[in-house]
Amino acid sequence: MKKKILAVLLATGVAATTLLGGSILVSAADDGGNTAQARTLDEIKKDGKIKIGVFSDKNPFGYVDENGDVQGYDIYFGKRLAKDLLGSEDDAEFTYVEAASRVEYLQSAKVDVILANFTVTDDRAEKVDFALPYMKVALGVVSPDDALIKDVKDLEGKKLIVVKGTTAETYFTDNYPDIELVKFDEYQEAYDALLDGRGDAFSTDNTEVLAWAQQNEGFSVGIESLGDIDTIAPAVQKGNTDLLNAINDEIKSLADEQFFHKDFEETLKPVYGDNINPDDLVVEGGVVDGEEKAEDAAETEDSDAASDDTKEAETTEEPEETEAADAE
Amino acid sequence: MGQPILEVEHLKKSYVNNVPILDDVSFSLQKGEVVVIVGPSGCGKSTFLRCINRLEEIDTGVLKLNGVSYEKEKKNISKVREKIGMVFQSYDLFPNMTILNNLLLAPMKVQKRNKEEVKKEAEQLLDRVGLLDKKDNYPRQLSGGQKQRVAIVRAMLMHPEIMLLDEITAALDPEMVREVLQVVLELAKTGMTMLIVTHEMEFARSVADRVIFMDKGNIVEENTPEQFFDNPETDRAKQFLNSFHYETVKK
Amino acid sequence: MQNMGIEVLFKGINSLRLWQGLWVTIRIALISMVFSIILGFLLGMVMNIPNKIIKFICRIYLEIVRIMPQLVLLFLVYFGAAKHLGMNLSGETAAVIVFTFWGTAEMGDLVRSALISIPKHQYDSGYGLGLNKWQVYLYIILPQTIRRLLPSAVNLLTRMIKTTSLVALIGVVEVLKVGKQIIDASRYTNPTAALWVYGAVFFMYFIICFPFSRLSRVLEKKFAD
Repeated sequence: MKKKILAVLLATGVAATTLLGGSILVSAADDGGNTAQARTLDEIKKDGKIKIGVFSDKNPFGYVDENGDVQGYDIYFGKRLAKDLLGSEDDAEFTYVEAASRVEYLQSAKVDVILANFTVTDDRAEKVDFALPYMKVALGVVSPDDALIKDVKDLEGKKLIVVKGTTAETYFTDNYPDIELVKFDEYQEAYDALLDGRGDAFSTDNTEVLAWAQQNEGFSVGIESLGDIDTIAPAVQKGNTDLLNAINDEIKSLADEQFFHKDFEETLKPVYGDNINPDDLVVEGGVVDGEEKAEDAAETEDSDAASDDTKEAETTEEPEETEAADAE
Repeated sequence: MGQPILEVEHLKKSYVNNVPILDDVSFSLQKGEVVVIVGPSGCGKSTFLRCINRLEEIDTGVLKLNGVSYEKEKKNISKVREKIGMVFQSYDLFPNMTILNNLLLAPMKVQKRNKEEVKKEAEQLLDRVGLLDKKDNYPRQLSGGQKQRVAIVRAMLMHPEIMLLDEITAALDPEMVREVLQVVLELAKTGMTMLIVTHEMEFARSVADRVIFMDKGNIVEENTPEQFFDNPETDRAKQFLNSFHYETVKK
Repeated sequence: MQNMGIEVLFKGINSLRLWQGLWVTIRIALISMVFSIILGFLLGMVMNIPNKIIKFICRIYLEIVRIMPQLVLLFLVYFGAAKHLGMNLSGETAAVIVFTFWGTAEMGDLVRSALISIPKHQYDSGYGLGLNKWQVYLYIILPQTIRRLLPSAVNLLTRMIKTTSLVALIGVVEVLKVGKQIIDASRYTNPTAALWVYGAVFFMYFIICFPFSRLSRVLEKKFAD
């Protein structure tokens, strides 16, 4: 008899596990419909700690140094945010996130804010609330010093290396169909090709080429900012307005002391070197300097502005994919 | 005759497809008696033994041990099985234990007896069957005949009132049959009550007080061994015994 | 350049971090394995109960485990439980739950077939000696089952150790993730770091998996029939 009861209990246990798994499965299928309630600003203040999702392997934005401490452009800001909201840099509790699950971390309220090189896109803006941007990225073009490409016009009749599926590929295909593209599957292959002279220049995110040029003597980034400018901003759970406003206020007030320039000096400059103009990457007070972009657009053709929307959508895919591939 | 130690009344048992395997069998066993059951394969004799210690559930009928019926017993069936030792055709030692541990398991776990005391007795019995030097070996290191001798000792250690032996030499190589049956003969001399199913007719004749011939789920003939083997009463028993003779004559 | 490459392992507390990461890996795999073995034995016994409903439920459970990639399960438990059930599990807890969910299914199926492969007369002789069902299982059936299960269990354990690399995706910093962090941190100063770090991680996986497979071989021999 006892055995029968036990068997029934066990069977019920197995059934319950299965049903639970099944129900999570089903509910997960309608993703985004349901979210765990994020902590409000008051709750965070009460707790005394703010949970910030950052990268732990994306140098120089978020990485772990040899002493096991997390560092980088995003972390520098995160610590300041904690200090101004809660009183101490140590009140920032960093959680290491992966590119592919940054939205999930917010929706499941595992973190209060994401500061993980999070590019603003329309698609993501439907799922999370972005604060004001604190950085921007565009395309860059790197080439050998002895035949430095300083302008897109210089590329005519030359071979430009791109990595398949990146923003650069789409941008040049759409806007400069006359430039011959040499395409590779991976970044390493692309760089090797540039070193071997199989192409005259290589284009991808400006942060990427800037860092690479710094490491490889004889190569420089002749074009530091090209194409659409993507902004990078903190994100909070959709509807967490208090926290969003607090972060926005913080970003605005930090403009007075040119905080992000200081952040750049501390974290990005060691990697990108002296040659780069901080204003190509840094955004102060949440105001993106649009003039540069307008110039660029004017320099290229009208089609650029027209195809803005579609390109933006494509651009959004790129960083996530490469990062996810990194993580594999 | 006094109170039989074991009584079986109107035992019926059939398998799922309603084919009767035991059809209204009644039988009783006196203390100290050795009864041998013979019969063709599939006649139900092994099932009969398995029903007696309730390894098979019966359909209807009464089972009594010392006058107490136990056919419906559930909780204390282990108590009944303690008193009815059984040895099977297959070598049924537990391969994960040494010979000694095979012997100690049930007395210690079921009867909660003192380990040293059981061990002493086990070693004595092993010595009697000539296997004391194997006590720390594993079953895989023993021959079939040795394993069956250990199995008998294992059943004996529980101090059963009855022993059921189910074709214990059927799976053995011919040269090992004798060493096992010799142990059973010794056991019979000590006055052990036994119910034996076997195909060894010579052995049956020498060990049995009474022979039972079963066929098609029924007891067809019950007799003394001399009567049964020399002068069987029923035709079916004659036929059965003839089949043995025929084979021996051919040789 | 070569020297610089290997230096990365001894810079700061890098090697300590790798060992800590390895400990996280082992901890998740071992805890999950202990739960999987206990629950797997119960599941295996339940699966042998001749009852259609129980069999059906077990079948569904096994199929779910078989079909669902572990990564999906990790996401479901880590994020799903927080979103839908309000349970904010740590990454490590979520990992143990998922690995146990997976391991129990595999162990259960193994135990079920191991139990079937034990001859019926082993049960009979146990009962015949007056042992009750639990005693028969405990002293006779399970020990024999364990011997048959050992190779597959060790195999499952080593697969679990290797699969722990997935838990980085729910924020658990295990050995491979530490390796990636180290490589990334020295990306601009030490481009050959990757070779050395991955080499070290490979070596660490090897020194934990190798003893287990050795152990299983030794035990297998010891318990051989």
